[in-house]
Amino acid sequence: MSAIYLRRRVTNWIAIALSTLATLVGLVFLAWILWETLRQGISALNFKLFTSITANGEDGGLANAMVGSLIINFLGIAIATPIGVMAGTWLAEYANRTKLGETIRFLNDILLSAPSIVMGLFVYTIIVLPSTVLTHGSTTFSGFAGGVALALIALPVIVRTTDEMLRLVPSTLREAALSLGVPQWKLTMQILVRAARSGIITGVLLALARISGETAPLLFTAFGNNYMTLNPIDKMSSLPQIIYQYANDPGDTMHAMAWAGAFVVTMFVLLLSLGSRLIFSRNKVSHD
Amino acid sequence: MTDPAVANHLAQTMAAPLASTKMTVRDLHFYYNGFHALKGINMEVPEKKVTAIIGPSGCGKSTLLRIFNRIYAIYPKLEAKGEIVLDGENILDPGYSMNRLRSKVGMVFQKPVPFPMTIFENVAYGIRHHEKLSKPDMDGRVEQALRSAALWDEVKDKLKQNALGLSGGQQQRLCIARAIALRPEVLLLDEPTSALDPIATSRIEQLVEELKNEFTIVIVTHNMQQAARCSDLTAFMYMGELIEFDRTEKIFTKPGKKQTEDYITGRFG
Repeated sequence: MSAIYLRRRVTNWIAIALSTLATLVGLVFLAWILWETLRQGISALNFKLFTSITANGEDGGLANAMVGSLIINFLGIAIATPIGVMAGTWLAEYANRTKLGETIRFLNDILLSAPSIVMGLFVYTIIVLPSTVLTHGSTTFSGFAGGVALALIALPVIVRTTDEMLRLVPSTLREAALSLGVPQWKLTMQILVRAARSGIITGVLLALARISGETAPLLFTAFGNNYMTLNPIDKMSSLPQIIYQYANDPGDTMHAMAWAGAFVVTMFVLLLSLGSRLIFSRNKVSHD
Repeated sequence: MTDPAVANHLAQTMAAPLASTKMTVRDLHFYYNGFHALKGINMEVPEKKVTAIIGPSGCGKSTLLRIFNRIYAIYPKLEAKGEIVLDGENILDPGYSMNRLRSKVGMVFQKPVPFPMTIFENVAYGIRHHEKLSKPDMDGRVEQALRSAALWDEVKDKLKQNALGLSGGQQQRLCIARAIALRPEVLLLDEPTSALDPIATSRIEQLVEELKNEFTIVIVTHNMQQAARCSDLTAFMYMGELIEFDRTEKIFTKPGKKQTEDYITGRFG
């Protein structure tokens, strides 16, 4: 008897030790990334970084890239969220366990793992090139095209999480609403989406975090702009693109600014997820 | 000492003046993906009485209950054949409006499933779908439903709070309030206390006792004591068949069939 207990206790101990170790490894890298970006970029992390534009070069900041990033990310999420949530709802509520639904779910997973540069090239072909023709060669790249490229990356993430979150809602909730005579569309919009709300919003934030760091799809779409612009059909700069550009520059000041930009992006994503968690934990109620 | 057939007949004549019939089930068959789950059920559910359905797991008791409001129809590949006549109309007729059926026949499930909204909205939600009420009328209806479900005193000061914050027993009474707020005629209870502790269970049983003055109640339970305590009639089902259906007192003291006796004395199931 005691031999069995001893073996179980040892196995238990090993399992705990291994999973603790794995968690630590993950956390160490997170802390290391934050530390390294901060250490390398601290010299450029000043007021000027947020107020001056990249046209001023070594004496400037990243204000236009930050504003551009915000606009492009916002466009991407604004396009992808309604489509993604509705498509995910359709998959979970209307096409669940059908052949068509399974096929679309599979295709969505392929889109989820598609290389982001492909999205950039695709949007270049369907938006940037035709717009050049329409405007007789004057407008080419735009923040809007960048937003569409990012939307294509965010879309499958949102579809997937919405679908999964809705399928986690117990079927008894559906039965309870239908047994009151409530029609399917009301059940879906007013009860199921509400029950899965925090999961769906988490999915949207996850998608936002994912696109915040994308560089490749913006190179062929938003292109970059050394001046401040708020116009989405203008060429637009973004933080990841500037980081990429400055990191390739030989100057140390530029390197520091790239690191500072990287730190800002990382903190943005970190604060975004911390903030959303805070909001949800405040509204959280027990489901048991 | 008495011939069982005679005893059965006597009991039936005793049962006859109980009440008028609310719902008649005629030769009802049910198929799950081709599996024959209910085999020719015939029964008459009396008005404003509590009818309990008992039987071992998998006997088809929940299946039968879920045909009474056609909730089974939301899943594919399920098929019911036969007739269920409610107030003179066959509810299995495809032309019978689902909206009308669900407003006449309410249901409460095994696990309490409040909607993710406030306590008030949980009750008002169903009413709003069927009727357009002014704010004071709606307040009155919600209060009345919560009072009937013996929950009003516990929640009257927190109607705006999320219903998911209530205890399991309170949540189940909220679900009962939500169902009776539509003023149905028949109330189906599918093992309503199986997820609750003994105190919450006895509150629900008391409630069933009070509600039968207004509603025709059909309760599925795996708890024989519960059937004995709170029902007027008991149906015993086994392997998709209705073995015996009689006054509860008779089922538990002088069952007419050997299988019923074996089940209630705990010889199987």
